[in-house]
Amino acid sequence: MKSDAVRGHLDGLLLAVLEPGPLHGYAIITAVQRRSGGALELRTGTIYPALNRLERLGLLSSNWQSVGERRRRCYELTDAGRAGLAEERTAWREFTTAIGSVLDPVARPGHAV
Amino acid sequence: MSGAGRRADPVEEYAATLAAALRGPARAKARMVEEMRDGLADAAEAHTRQGTPRRRAVDLAVREFGTVDEVAPSCQRELTVAQTRHTARTVVLSAPLLIVCWYPLLAAGDGPGRELPGPARLLAVQLAGVAAVAALLAVVTLAATGPLARRLPVPRGLPLAVAWTGTTAGVAMVLATLTLAIASPSAGNWPLITFACGLTAVAHGMVAASARMCRVCART
Repeated sequence: MKSDAVRGHLDGLLLAVLEPGPLHGYAIITAVQRRSGGALELRTGTIYPALNRLERLGLLSSNWQSVGERRRRCYELTDAGRAGLAEERTAWREFTTAIGSVLDPVARPGHAV
Repeated sequence: MSGAGRRADPVEEYAATLAAALRGPARAKARMVEEMRDGLADAAEAHTRQGTPRRRAVDLAVREFGTVDEVAPSCQRELTVAQTRHTARTVVLSAPLLIVCWYPLLAAGDGPGRELPGPARLLAVQLAGVAAVAALLAVVTLAATGPLARRLPVPRGLPLAVAWTGTTAGVAMVLATLTLAIASPSAGNWPLITFACGLTAVAHGMVAASARMCRVCART
């Protein structure tokens, strides 16, 4: 999936991979790639400003942790972030249901063609 | 690692080029560049662990990461908002403090029968009003770029508007303090005037520098 198509859903993707627990930037990137089976194409460098923005909006919190010689900034969902993720999921389900009804009406049992 | 050694490292070169391309609050920028440098180093190490030679691993990591030209615009957008908030915070903190300092001078001059001349009082009140309005706009900016931004998009022209609001507030602070200092009929209030002048100089320096950087960010 091209990076332009992914960009509109980046916030939801980042919130979703942080749902199980805190992760640092590179671990978030690998989690997105692992969950998508490598199907999502995105410039991984753009994830860092996106994480900064989500923190500014109060959806994430972060703290710096020392790992070996490096300091890593670990992000975790706030309560507002969990609520935001629930909204993203609802919006995504409504969107895919609506588009699916039009694109693939036969595959949807109980729907007249 | 020596400075020359760090510069020779392609990951460090990438970080230095990115840092040179970005404008914004020094701390936020340094943290963003440090985080991205470590992320790029992690990506390069992941390729190296799979047996890819170091130089090739870094090239692959940069390709996935995006070149500085590809990544810098999204970083700059966030730093511009950070600088806008920094300027707004500086105005919010400094303007009310100065107005509190000016109030005794405006209200009573140096004592009964020695009030400030009318025109000076009028000018000082209007300048204080400008600083107060700037502080109010700064509060709105902090709300609009904070949690409210989840629901409402941040207006495109906001950083430049905040930059000029900060500049205006800074000038109003200086003029109001000078007016009060010159028009005070005696040195009876000199401790307060001296304090207000000192505070104004510090506040003006902070607001003006932040507003200048905000203009640079808005135009980058």
